[in-house]
Amino acid sequence: MSLMTMNKPFHWLTLAGFSALLSTAVQAKNIQYKGVVQANWQNSSDYASWYDRGVSVNRFGTESERLNLSRAAVDLRTELGSKWSLLASAQYVPDPDSKLGFTELFAQYHTLNKGPWQWQGRIGGFYPRMSLENPDIGWSSPYNYSYSAINAWLGEEIRTFGTEVSFKRSDSRLPRRQRSGHNWELVGALYKGNDPAGTLLAWRGWAVHDRQSVFNEAIPFAPIYALKAPPLAKQAWRTEPFTEVDGRFGYYIGAHWDYQKRHTVRLYWYDNNGDPSIVNYQTGQYAWDTKFYSAAYRFKITRATHLVMQAMGGNTAMGKRRGVDNDFSSQFVLLTHKWLDYRVSGRVEQFNVKDRDFWDFDPNTSEGGAVTLTGRWQVTDHWHVGMEFQYLESKVANRADFKLPTRQTEQLWRVSGELRF
Amino acid sequence: MIQLKHILSVAVTALMLVTGSAFAAGQLSVKVLDKQGEALPGAAVWLTGQGLAEDQKVLTHQYKMGQKNRTFTPHLLIVPKQAEISFPNYDSILHHVYSFSPAKTFEFKLYRDQPQALTFSTTGAVELGCNIHDWMLGYILVVDSTHFAVTNADGVAHISLPVEQLKHVELKVWHEGFMDLDKPESRQLSVIRSGEQLKVQLQQTLGMFQDDFSDEFDDYE
Repeated sequence: MSLMTMNKPFHWLTLAGFSALLSTAVQAKNIQYKGVVQANWQNSSDYASWYDRGVSVNRFGTESERLNLSRAAVDLRTELGSKWSLLASAQYVPDPDSKLGFTELFAQYHTLNKGPWQWQGRIGGFYPRMSLENPDIGWSSPYNYSYSAINAWLGEEIRTFGTEVSFKRSDSRLPRRQRSGHNWELVGALYKGNDPAGTLLAWRGWAVHDRQSVFNEAIPFAPIYALKAPPLAKQAWRTEPFTEVDGRFGYYIGAHWDYQKRHTVRLYWYDNNGDPSIVNYQTGQYAWDTKFYSAAYRFKITRATHLVMQAMGGNTAMGKRRGVDNDFSSQFVLLTHKWLDYRVSGRVEQFNVKDRDFWDFDPNTSEGGAVTLTGRWQVTDHWHVGMEFQYLESKVANRADFKLPTRQTEQLWRVSGELRF
Repeated sequence: MIQLKHILSVAVTALMLVTGSAFAAGQLSVKVLDKQGEALPGAAVWLTGQGLAEDQKVLTHQYKMGQKNRTFTPHLLIVPKQAEISFPNYDSILHHVYSFSPAKTFEFKLYRDQPQALTFSTTGAVELGCNIHDWMLGYILVVDSTHFAVTNADGVAHISLPVEQLKHVELKVWHEGFMDLDKPESRQLSVIRSGEQLKVQLQQTLGMFQDDFSDEFDDYE
């Protein structure tokens, strides 16, 4: 299982996390948890998923048309005095080979002071808060079952192992008569790890799914021919996205603004500051020089009808002379409406990767888009069910390696049941 | 048969309500209007004066300031000095309740089903916040009286009166939109009678920034 294959720092972080949580849970009843167990059925795809070495860009690939446990996740929070909290999200996913681990584990510092100004800090492994699509348990989406390509990618290849500091002004902490409606927050983070981020975009392309990676994850992908060529022969047919390769610090900066929590904007610049000439021969992982912006906007048109949008664009490169050098971008628009215990959500998105290098043996170009419609019903507080239809189109140049058409269109139906506790 | 029972019980309740209000000897109604003359819900109204005996039931009442669905319930709680208030958390998530108000400064983290309690011995307004859910805002108003009420949706407060008639009382009004939360407005009344309906118009303009659009997905701020 995962503990066997994970590399050392994550091994220790995971073990330390589990033991810290267990000992706290044993000592105190003061542990807050929110959990979900999700099962689903999806109609079969023509090809296997990337982690089954196939070329499909949806999660279940050919391993569907049966009832799967798709995810069990729990958010835990416990207090360490008045200013510190310990937060964790752990998950179990069956695909591709039963994996249990943390998606987030961090200590959070929160000042308590009079007035609207506040310092916050986080130390550990966590998501940058650049998205507005994933505010539910275990960073899942309350809207569509499969996340947008942008957030599917953040979920599989982006995680911060380091420290984040933010300074915020919360208008809502003022007496009502002194409010202006404007809240804002400035965020900065320094971290290690996350050097191979970008690998999947280059060799698989964007995908639309809800398979988040845990801390120690190694994600396989299709055995494309380019990795058999001498310049890329040191690269493994998998990525270990959160590992440290070049020994350098990465950073991100961000700004949040909202007006009355009705208009919300988040702008981020992320740079893992990778040195693309460095490779870890043992694990077959390169440091990719990956940098991108993310801009997210949410408009609560009414209290029940919300619009969520996000755009991302950037560049990722590896190799001494940036032999693999790609620009990537994606955008989505999501409209959701909640009525009584029902929620309907629709999302339209597009994505592409542009190959900018001159290594013809390694075509990285890909493009595509998806339309996703989801209806969800909260039958009770504990039982939720729903159905999703997705039209997914993708064109990936290196599918030609397998004598397969580069363009794929899929029409996917997914039925889902959840137990929440 | 069941329907008949239901109709009967409704009729009896209605009858009790009607007779109850007709013979409510010990009650004063106060309608609060804002500066523009509109009825004002959510205003605290209380009486002080030498002729007012303390109502022991009000003094020993179990006061509660709960948190439910990420809001303080009630939004405004008015209590007599020395009242003990418990803070039950009805949500499944943690709240970190605090106040920096001079009348009572405190903070504690509250888990579900583990309420904390505090005694409020200084009069004044206590403004409550939650350090986890920034938008949560609530008020406790500690007053030197056991005769008080909060205005309803029609701007009317019903205050119980211990006697038929009272002389030289002071009527105080407070609202969260006041410029200075520790300065209630007051009126000197030479005489009030039970069953009387008073109207009070505020002298100051209220600063009332409207509610925001916070919902459960703003937790992750």
